[in-house]
Amino acid sequence: MSGFKRFGSRIIQLIFVLWAVATILFLIFRLMPGSPLAAYIDPTFTEEQQRILMARFGLDRSLFEQYLIYLGNLLQGDLGESFFYRQPVGERVLMLLPNTLVLSLFSIIIAYMIGVIGGAYLAWKRGSFLEGATIPFVLTTRAMPEFWLGMVLLAVFSFSLGWFPAGGMRTAGSEYPSLLALYTSGDFWRHLFLPAVTLAIYFHGLPLLLMRSNMLDVMSEDFVTMARIKGLSNWTIVVRHAARNALLPVATSLAIAIGYQMQGSVVVETVFSWPGLGRELVRAVSASDYPLAQGAFLLIAVVVILMNLLADLLYGLLDPRISHA
Amino acid sequence: MRNLFKATTALGLAMCVTAPALAAGDEIREITIFTRPQAAQPSEFQFVQLIAQEWRRLGLEVNIEVMPWEQMADAVWYNRDDWDTTGWQMVGRPERSDPDELIFNLFHTSTAPTGYNFIGYQNPDYDAIVEAQRTETDIDARRDLIHQAQAILAADQPNLMLAHPQSTFAYDNTVWDPDSVVEQGGIGIRNTWTFINLEPLGDQRDVILNSTDNVQAINPLFISGGTDSWITELIWDRLLRIGPDGLPQPWAAESYEWIDDTTVEIVLRDGMNWHDGEPVTAEDVRFSYQAAMGDEAPMYSPFVGNIADIEIIDPSTLRFHLNDASAAFLTASLSKLNLIPQHIWEPILEDLATRDEENAEDYQEEIPIGSGPFRFSSWLTNEEVVLEANEDHWSAPNVDRWILRIVPNTEASLGMLRSGEINFLSDYPGDPNILIDVASEDGDLDVVSTTDMGFRYVAFNHRRPPFDDAAFRQALSMAINRDLIVGAAFRGYAVPSNSVISPALAFWHNDDVDEFETGPEVAAAILAEAGYEVVDGRLHYPDGVSETLGE
Repeated sequence: MSGFKRFGSRIIQLIFVLWAVATILFLIFRLMPGSPLAAYIDPTFTEEQQRILMARFGLDRSLFEQYLIYLGNLLQGDLGESFFYRQPVGERVLMLLPNTLVLSLFSIIIAYMIGVIGGAYLAWKRGSFLEGATIPFVLTTRAMPEFWLGMVLLAVFSFSLGWFPAGGMRTAGSEYPSLLALYTSGDFWRHLFLPAVTLAIYFHGLPLLLMRSNMLDVMSEDFVTMARIKGLSNWTIVVRHAARNALLPVATSLAIAIGYQMQGSVVVETVFSWPGLGRELVRAVSASDYPLAQGAFLLIAVVVILMNLLADLLYGLLDPRISHA
Repeated sequence: MRNLFKATTALGLAMCVTAPALAAGDEIREITIFTRPQAAQPSEFQFVQLIAQEWRRLGLEVNIEVMPWEQMADAVWYNRDDWDTTGWQMVGRPERSDPDELIFNLFHTSTAPTGYNFIGYQNPDYDAIVEAQRTETDIDARRDLIHQAQAILAADQPNLMLAHPQSTFAYDNTVWDPDSVVEQGGIGIRNTWTFINLEPLGDQRDVILNSTDNVQAINPLFISGGTDSWITELIWDRLLRIGPDGLPQPWAAESYEWIDDTTVEIVLRDGMNWHDGEPVTAEDVRFSYQAAMGDEAPMYSPFVGNIADIEIIDPSTLRFHLNDASAAFLTASLSKLNLIPQHIWEPILEDLATRDEENAEDYQEEIPIGSGPFRFSSWLTNEEVVLEANEDHWSAPNVDRWILRIVPNTEASLGMLRSGEINFLSDYPGDPNILIDVASEDGDLDVVSTTDMGFRYVAFNHRRPPFDDAAFRQALSMAINRDLIVGAAFRGYAVPSNSVISPALAFWHNDDVDEFETGPEVAAAILAEAGYEVVDGRLHYPDGVSETLGE
C-alpha cells in the first residue's frame, strides 16, 4: 500500500516537472533574439504576406494567449506545427526518435560493458602499472569533446582506412520494407559503428570509474574477507560476491545515463549526418522554429524524466533497504 | 572599463569644443557594423574586420557587432531606422539571370518601406530608368538602360559592393563523363542541365549528391529552401527554362512569340504526360498560372501579378495577356512557375480555400506528381531524397536515379566524395583550396569554380546620417581595396565587384564601372572635398552639420 502511495506521489511530481519544463521551453525560445520570419526574407515578400504568416504561426497573439494555446494543445498531445517544415511536430519528432534511441542504446550498452568489466578488473588490479596507465586515459576520454573525437575517428577509420562510411544511416538509395529490416541489416550496423563508438568512448568513463570505486569499497568489506578465508577462488570472489554488490549503483546510473546520452547525440548526430532528434533540434533552434524546438526538447526531457523515475524504482527493487527507508 | 571609455570620449569631446582653430561640424558618432559569426560566415567576418580597420584610418570610431543571421535579419529588416552598416549578401538564382529583380527591387523607392530596398536609397532619376527598362521590350535599348542604372549606382555608391564569390563544385570524373557536365553562367555546374545531361562512364548510373541543409518541402507552389528548388526544378516542367547562357529558352513550350507588347503566345510541346500517365493539357497550363494568381500560393503571386488573362486558342496554344509591357516576363514568370496537374491540385486547392489558416504551402503531396525529367521515388526525413529518371520525358536523363544525401558535416562530404558514397559534390561551403588539395591528392575529381551572379557587400543605412551623403559613402567605399578583400576574405575565389549585375551576366554587366581608384588617400581626398575634417584624429561632419544620433 505504501509502495503504491509512493508511486502515486512520484507521478504527481513527474507531472509537475513536465509542466515546469514545458513552460521554461516556451519562454526560452521566445526570449532568444531573432524572428522565425528571418528564414523567409525574400525580395518578393510583402508586409501583407508577413502579416499573414505571423497570424498563421499564431505570433500575432499576446505571449500569454500563445502560452495558454500551447498548454491546451500539449494536454491533448498536440505539439503544434513546425514553422519551417509546415508539418505536425509530433509526427516529425516521433519519426526521428527511434534513430536517436537506437544509437543511444547501442552506445550505452558498449559503454557499460567496457565500463563494468574494466572497472571491476582495475579494482582487482589496484596499484598495478595497468591501473596507473588506464585511469588517466579514461579521464582523458571523459574530457575530450565528442565532436573532436568523432572527427578523429572519421578521419582515421573512414577517410584514411575506408573501413566505415563517412555518415548517414544506410547506403544511398537502399530500400528496406520496415524500420526493423533496416535496423537488422549489416549496412545499418556499418553506418552505426563509428557514431556509437564515439559516444561509447565518451561515455564509458562514468560506469568504469563508478564500478572501480564501488568494487574497492566492497572488497574491503567483511564478507569478502570471509570469502577469502573460506578459500574461494579469485574468480568466484570477484564475480559472485564483490561485483554483484558493486553493480547496484552502476545499474541505476544506467537509466540516468540514457537520459544524458540524448544530449551527447546532438553533437554526434551532426558530425555523422545521423538523422536523429539531436540534429533536428539544432536546426530548429537556429531557424527559430519554436514549436519544433519545443517538441524535440520536450521529448528528450520526457525520456530523461522517465529514466530518472525508472532509476528510482529500480533502486528500490534491487535493494529492498531503499524502499523501506 | 566602459565608463572609463565614455569618460575619455567625453573628455575628448570637451577638448574639441574648446579648440577654436577649426570650424568643423560635430564629431561623427561611433558607427556600428554588423557581421555574422566567424564560424557561420568566415568570409563576411573577415572582410568586416578589414573594412573596419580601413575606416578607422579615416578617423572613424567603428564598433563591430557579431550576431547570428536570425538576429541580424531581424535588426536590419524589421528595424530599418536602427542600424548603421551591415555585411550582407545576395545569392544567385536562375531567375536573377534577368537584371530586373536586383536592379529594381534593391533600389527602387517603392520597395524602401518594407521591401528589399532596406537601405532606404532614394533617387528619382534612378527610379525613372529602372521603371523604363521594365517595359522596354527591345533588348538592346533595355541594355542601355540597365547600363545607365549601373553607372548611377557606381556614382552614388548606395552600398559598398565587394565581390562576386565563386561557387565551387566537384564530381568524380571516373563516374561521369566530363564532357556531359554543363556549366551555367552565374550558377555553376550544379544545375538542371547537368543532371539531365550527365553521361555515366561505367556501372554507377546513380548520381549521388550532397546538401548541408535539410529538405524543407517538395511542393510546386511553395518557394521553400534553396536545396528544395534543385528538386522541384527536376520534378516539375516549366514553359521556359533559363539556359546555360542565362537567357530563357523554350522548354515545355515548343515556342513562344510576342504578338504585341502585352501579349505572348505559347505553343505547347506534343505528347507530354504527367508522372501518373495523364496527358499535359492547355487547361493544366492555364490552371498552373491561375493557382498562383489565387490566394493559396502567396509566394508565387508576385510573379503572376501582371497577367490580365490567359486564353486557350486551341489544345496546344495559349495566349498570355498582360496588364503592362514587361521585358522580364519570360524570365520572371514563364521560366519560374511550375506546371502542375489540374486533376490533382484542383480538389486540393478547393479544399484549402475553405480553410482560413492553411494554404498550398502547407500541403505536402504523398507522391509529388509533375511532368519533369525526373519522377519522385522516395524521401526519408533528414536522410535523402531519391528521384528516378522519367524515360518517357522528351528530354529524358541518362542517369538512372538522382539521390540527394543530407550531410551537415562539410569535411565528411569531402570524405564521401573520395570514397564514392557521393559522386557529385553539389554543396560545398568550405574553403575551395582544401577541395582542390583533396582533388589533386585523389586524382579522379574534377573541381569547377564559377563566378556567381550573387554578391557580398556592406549595406549603408541611408536613413541615418552621415550615410545619406553620397560623398561620405563614396569615401568609405573607395577606402577599400577589393583585390585585398578577395585575397584575404575569399582566398582568391571571388571577383571584385562594383555592380549588382555580375560580370557572369556578360550581356547586362556594365564594364565601365569596374575600374576605380581605391586607397586611404583617395578616400581622404573625397572627404576633404565634401567638407569633412579630421580633428584630433576623429572625423567631423562638414561645417554646421550636427550629430543627431549620438548617445
